Amino acid sequence: MLWVAILSPLFGALLNGLILRSVSRRTSHLMGVLAMAVSFLAAVSVAVSFIGSHATEPVLKYALNWIHVGTLNIDFEFIIDQLSVLMLLVVTGIGLLIHIYAGGYMSHEEGMYERTARFFSYLNLFVFMMLILVLGNSLPLMFVGWEGVGLCSYLLIGYWYHEDANAKAGMKAFLVNRIGDIGFLLGIFLTFKTFGTLSFTELKNIVLSGSLTPEMIQSVSWITLFLFIGACGKSAQLPLYIWLPDAMAGPTPVSALIHAATMVTAGIYMMTRLNFFYYLSPNTMMIVALVGVLTAFFAATIAMVQYDIKKVLAYSTVSQLGYMVLAAGVGAYDASVFHLLTHACFKALLFLGSGSVIFAMHHEQDIRKMGGLRKHLPITHFVFLVGVLAIIGFPGLSGFFSKDEILWKSFIGGQHMGFGLFLWIMATITAGMTAFYMCRVLLLTFYGPNRSDEHTRKHLHETSPVMWGPLLVLAALSIGIGYLGIPPLLGSLFGHAESNIFEHYLAPVLSIPESMHEHWAFLHASYSHGLEWALMGASVGLMLIASFTAIIFYGKGFAPITETLARTFAPLFTLLSNKYFVDELYERVFIRPCREMAHFLWAFVDVIVVDGIVNGIGRACAFSGAFFSLRATGSVHRSGMLMVFGFVFLLIYMMA
Amino acid sequence: MFSMLNDLILSLMIFTPLVFGVGLLGIKNVKIARTVAMFGAFLTFLWSLHVWFYFDGSQSGLQFVEAYEWLPALGIKYIVGIDGLSLLLVMLTTFLTILILISQWHVVESRQRYFLSLFMFLETGMLGALLAFDMVFFYLFWEAMLIPMYFIIGIWGSKERIYAANKFFIYTVVGSLFLLVAAILMYIEYHSQFGVYSTSLIDLYKVKIPYPQQIWYFLAFAVAFAIKVPMWPFHTWLPDAHVQAPTAGSVVLAGILLKLGTYGFLRFALPLFPEATEALAPAIMLLGIIGILYGAFTAWVQEDAKKLVAYSSVSHLGFVVLGCVGFYAGAGEMSVEALTGSVYQMINHGISTGALFFLVGMIYERCHTRDLKEFGGLAKVMPWYAVMLIIATLSSVGLPGTGGFVGEFLILLGMFQVYPIVSFAASLGVLFGAVYMLSMVKRILFGNVTKADNEKLADLNGREFLYITPLAVLIFVMGIFPNIFLDKVKVSVEYFAKNYRQYEVSVVENHLDSPDSKLQNTGWSESAKFHGE
Repeated sequence: MLWVAILSPLFGALLNGLILRSVSRRTSHLMGVLAMAVSFLAAVSVAVSFIGSHATEPVLKYALNWIHVGTLNIDFEFIIDQLSVLMLLVVTGIGLLIHIYAGGYMSHEEGMYERTARFFSYLNLFVFMMLILVLGNSLPLMFVGWEGVGLCSYLLIGYWYHEDANAKAGMKAFLVNRIGDIGFLLGIFLTFKTFGTLSFTELKNIVLSGSLTPEMIQSVSWITLFLFIGACGKSAQLPLYIWLPDAMAGPTPVSALIHAATMVTAGIYMMTRLNFFYYLSPNTMMIVALVGVLTAFFAATIAMVQYDIKKVLAYSTVSQLGYMVLAAGVGAYDASVFHLLTHACFKALLFLGSGSVIFAMHHEQDIRKMGGLRKHLPITHFVFLVGVLAIIGFPGLSGFFSKDEILWKSFIGGQHMGFGLFLWIMATITAGMTAFYMCRVLLLTFYGPNRSDEHTRKHLHETSPVMWGPLLVLAALSIGIGYLGIPPLLGSLFGHAESNIFEHYLAPVLSIPESMHEHWAFLHASYSHGLEWALMGASVGLMLIASFTAIIFYGKGFAPITETLARTFAPLFTLLSNKYFVDELYERVFIRPCREMAHFLWAFVDVIVVDGIVNGIGRACAFSGAFFSLRATGSVHRSGMLMVFGFVFLLIYMMA
Repeated sequence: MFSMLNDLILSLMIFTPLVFGVGLLGIKNVKIARTVAMFGAFLTFLWSLHVWFYFDGSQSGLQFVEAYEWLPALGIKYIVGIDGLSLLLVMLTTFLTILILISQWHVVESRQRYFLSLFMFLETGMLGALLAFDMVFFYLFWEAMLIPMYFIIGIWGSKERIYAANKFFIYTVVGSLFLLVAAILMYIEYHSQFGVYSTSLIDLYKVKIPYPQQIWYFLAFAVAFAIKVPMWPFHTWLPDAHVQAPTAGSVVLAGILLKLGTYGFLRFALPLFPEATEALAPAIMLLGIIGILYGAFTAWVQEDAKKLVAYSSVSHLGFVVLGCVGFYAGAGEMSVEALTGSVYQMINHGISTGALFFLVGMIYERCHTRDLKEFGGLAKVMPWYAVMLIIATLSSVGLPGTGGFVGEFLILLGMFQVYPIVSFAASLGVLFGAVYMLSMVKRILFGNVTKADNEKLADLNGREFLYITPLAVLIFVMGIFPNIFLDKVKVSVEYFAKNYRQYEVSVVENHLDSPDSKLQNTGWSESAKFHGE
């Protein structure tokens, strides 16, 4: 069944990819969806049988040997455990919904049928690669998926390649990710050097056996750091996040599937998969936590002033990924993965919702030109509202449970790691900003007066069921899925003190090496309920205040006060709306100097220096040859030969 | 019957193209000529397939050996043999030659027969150089490769073809002369140590040259091979040669000829002068890394697609060079992974860069320019072309699932075990490789069609599909099922990596005759002493 789940999308991709042009849009859509449906059903069956067996040990499925050279032996071997089953369901489930939706979204593709075949081919291929990533039982196999999803991302961002900007954005994504990939590769190499194996299960056994030397532990901190660089690339963390906002150039279903729900969480998945390594390296963990919280904060500040609906969501994704990384950094992998799960649902929902808006608005993405759309798009409005409430952590929706867990763990973790309240304060302020900018988008899009032009307004209409159907499912998930992870604190109100099903579920995957038990003991220590209530209250309170502020500012279009604020804090506003000029900075500091150096290397070093010397020798020989033979033949051959014989005699002389 | 074939299969393989090449000169009709050429290439490929299937991957020694005395007084023998170091390159040579002939199928010029015949000669030269185990024959084949290539560039090249052909020729000849001198000295040295003359490489492996002197010998060999690879700073002949050469010439040049540099390094310089190689390994690694980064940077700023691919070769071969010097400090062992990676990467590079040169050639034939500024948006006009170009690019940038990844990964992983810093520096090449390749892809395929003429370009035709598809398929086969190839070579490579300090090639029998009788028949007694008894 696992093979069906993995191979079905590949089959779909090949089918759609190799019969380019020859099928209609409808057929290619149907094939894509069918491949996903088969994959999803197979995934469900895998999940049911695995979870039903109550196994605590992973099940390994061997396909074939991949590379076997010297002591290096890499198999195509797949791992089924609590973590990969979860990811399997997320990827195929949300993948299926988005495939269905995409059929509607891509239906206006100017009659170029081969293009939608190409689209669904890439999309299916992406799912296949993502499954390799989450199911592979070794670092190299994960890397296959890791780069594979990167490739699909590249192809899909640049899907509408006739626009230069899209092609550029795709390239940027690929290249920035490559920087992270170098880190990933170095992590693989060092792992092999240290442990002589690259398989997750074997590594886990070695680490948990407790027989590590201090040198090995030292290596592990480097390994974790290298791999984290990879995670920073894929999961868009500082300083490598810059590709993700640009990645919104791709079609919106792509943004939802790849750049929100699945691919970008690969970094978090990888760290969770290797949690036994990370638990061994408290120093790396501190860096992880800091990068996470700073990314969350930083991206949220940018999101507050963006006008492109997809850009806001993109920065919000970066910010939410920062939360997950933060949770990973404080050792709360269960909270991190739980947020990954809820985020996958509500962010896919928000992106697809924005997709419906953009679709209805004829590819207009500027929220300044929207407004009042709830009358025209009632279903979209409803699901978008659900998504917003979920992401801002409105009590009762999924985001509330997962975010609250992260905030709480960052509070206790921060103090334990010596950051004091820093992590919690930053994370909580970020939650406030999230509430503000999400409400801002919601209000400017669906409420207040309609600011679009006459033509667009006339054609506004609710999307077809093929599009709002998946949205409703996602909305239901965004509400319901949080109840898998009710914290004991709230559970106890209803008489279920041990009700955090999710934490319990993931426990077999997370294993703190024995030497580090004490260090991470705080994760499961008991704290006063009063404190927990107080913190929860504080964050919910801040969220409400931020939401009301947004309502005052944007409830009826742009309130005058927004303008005043923008004018008063003009420098800050400029800084934020230009995204801190980070792209420009990188351009100046890295790209341009490199380009100039490349020009220098070629035009000067290569053409003038190296080639000059070569031709110079030739000419000098020609000259001396002419001199000695007293016949100016100018033949390069002759002079070359003369030169060579000179060298040859010299050489013989030296060796003799 | 097959066992009989084993006795002379390698000679058949080497000389079949030669015979056909000579025969072609007399055929005036282009249509007949190309059919004959194709038949010859196909026959050679069949011979190589025979070798492939009967090659015993569990043996490290030489197989299908043929040894005959030629000039006994001088100790010159005709010895050919094949092992894991050369097997894949031989297969690549015979295979690419067929594809090249397909790519030339449509040409109906009357002098085409000369062109085809030059390619046949070239194939003989390459196969001979790969299979010869006698210094004299190796040197003959090694130099013989130059001549057809010289004419291919000089006659069928573009505007500056004479300059490029001369540069190519002189550069390479200069290098080979050093090699010749050092080889002669080796020959003399062998006589003074063993009392007899021999030019057999198998014998020469036994010559012990004291360490400080070894350096000079090594340098003389290494210069010849470094120019061929080409390693920085001996690379400037390459862009000129590639830009001027016709497409088919570029494909052979990048696909096979360059590999003879790294192959020669492995076959001769390293095992003959192991201490010197170890001592100079840091310098070689430095040049390798410079080559990787320098090649990548210079490729990035090229406006000519072919020049870009040419510089990318400089970069890619830097990886191969690195993998050849992965010595464990003081252990007398090399990293098996890195060395295997090098051997594998030679083939990958031949396939992906061969494909890239073919693809650049296709648009050159259509537009008569290779200036990247003239293109853009071709993905829309030529969707299949786009697919193929992207596949070749992916292998070139080493995406997992393509052959390029397996090679690069093995080299970098192996080097990391030995010199982590070197591996780190080289891995930057993985990033920069993506920079220039994706820039090229973007400029050719994406964006709007900028020139009206480009709107009407035809997509790949049947003939083009016929020669590009096998390469595209191989890229994935080599990436997903590398063991098909590695299983054949890894025993040889592992033996080499672990014994390079006292390297001896043994002779493996692939036929029914007993080893002794064969050796007596051929009077080849010297080499029999060290193996198989």
